[in-house]
Amino acid sequence: MILPRFDVLVPETVDQACAMLVEHADEGVRLLAGGTDLLVDLRRPIIPYHVPRCDGCTTHPEGKVASTVRCEPSDPLMPAGGPLRAALEDPRHAAPKYLVSLHKLNQLKSIQVLGDGSLKVGALTTIAAIPRSPEIRRSWTALADGAANLGSPLVRNRGTLGGNIANARPAADTAVPAIALDGTLTLQGPSGTRTVAAEDFARGPGLSVMKPDEVLTEVHFPPPLPHAGSAYYKLANRKALEISTVGVAVWLALEKPGGPVKDVRVALGAVGPTPILAESVGEVLAGKTPDEKVLGKAAMAAAGDARPIDDHRGAAWYRVQMVELLTLRLLKTVVERIASHP
Amino acid sequence: MKKIVSLTVNGIAHEVAVEPRRTLLELLREDLGLTGTKKGCGIGDCGACTVLLDGVATFSCLTLAIQADGGTVETAEGLAETGKLNRLQQAFVDHGAIQCGFCTPGMLMTATELLRSTPQPDEHDIRMAISGNLCRCTGYQKIVEAIQAAAKESS
Repeated sequence: MILPRFDVLVPETVDQACAMLVEHADEGVRLLAGGTDLLVDLRRPIIPYHVPRCDGCTTHPEGKVASTVRCEPSDPLMPAGGPLRAALEDPRHAAPKYLVSLHKLNQLKSIQVLGDGSLKVGALTTIAAIPRSPEIRRSWTALADGAANLGSPLVRNRGTLGGNIANARPAADTAVPAIALDGTLTLQGPSGTRTVAAEDFARGPGLSVMKPDEVLTEVHFPPPLPHAGSAYYKLANRKALEISTVGVAVWLALEKPGGPVKDVRVALGAVGPTPILAESVGEVLAGKTPDEKVLGKAAMAAAGDARPIDDHRGAAWYRVQMVELLTLRLLKTVVERIASHP
Repeated sequence: MKKIVSLTVNGIAHEVAVEPRRTLLELLREDLGLTGTKKGCGIGDCGACTVLLDGVATFSCLTLAIQADGGTVETAEGLAETGKLNRLQQAFVDHGAIQCGFCTPGMLMTATELLRSTPQPDEHDIRMAISGNLCRCTGYQKIVEAIQAAAKESS
């Protein structure tokens, strides 16, 4: 299980990293952050799953691969012998010749609460560092919950927030809370930076709007509102080294303790080709007093937004039921927390 | 083309010329002959390859040697001082926490990290800390008891 041959480039700045991505675009180049996904995929080798490969998910500067492979939202994993076979046989999808290792970009490893009260987390911040931050635990609780339940302690020690989000897996334990907490991703490319809302980032399993010459540099969260709280629950068969069957993140703000709902965001993981923002929940809850009946309706709305498939982790019908149950539980938990710590 | 990696392993500075694809695990086992660190699954599931890199428990199989450039590595070989097992190692022996022994070096390194950050862990802390290190022999109970005993002894 020796790794395939590649060269490793070690940039000192994000600009250098982008330049390396551009220079080697035709030979196959990938960004290496913590390595807990990429190096595993290079061994297996299932790298085509991680290569953006559909229209709209800009695959190549000239969009070369887009014509051979498409992702269908209704068939996210693609049938054997179909487009995946084509991807495997495409020499451009062979193991990359270059890895751009970001380990020296220390400027992307910080957690900062900015002057306006918002939170900036560098993309290379390890997953383990997130729940250790008292500020994140207090004001962006769902993100701390997600990070604390990702992989195992050893995965969390190496894996990074940027890596978990950029891989665009439907079950990503930090991407789901990032959506509920209204996170914004900063992508830096050769021609400048742009920002993308967390819910607009993933386009399919392993597919995203990130261009091949871009680096995800930071995730930014708005300042906490008064009388607000958040939580994430990962439903899985084991407590470690597991991919969620269903993940639900809830953020909710009240006008005042015991008062009506000012705003709410519910995000769902592992029940669609990407993490999903359950938009119907806001329509049900906005302006209502969060009693048992209203929260029950909101949970049903969340279940209606889920688009799961049957797989070995769970049947689609089970996942839909769990979305409803977990959304209700988390909404109640957050409402209770706001009542006890207004 | 090989690249030079400088790192300190168990207090000794090394400079090693490695292929870019060489993992830290391969560097330790094959270039430095430190075979205490085990190769298990190679994909980050089992934790047998755990070493401390700059004090942090790390899969050496999923870390490129180049990523450890300039770093400080501790392996199971570095635990015993002056030829005598340290407190944690002795507790593993005394409590029957070793059966086939393949997970043991990784368990020791993970437990070392835990006891440095949390000198008096409770059972839950210990079980969470070792949740990324698989043991197929002991059922974990003896390992948990050994780590608890080592913590108690140091209090």
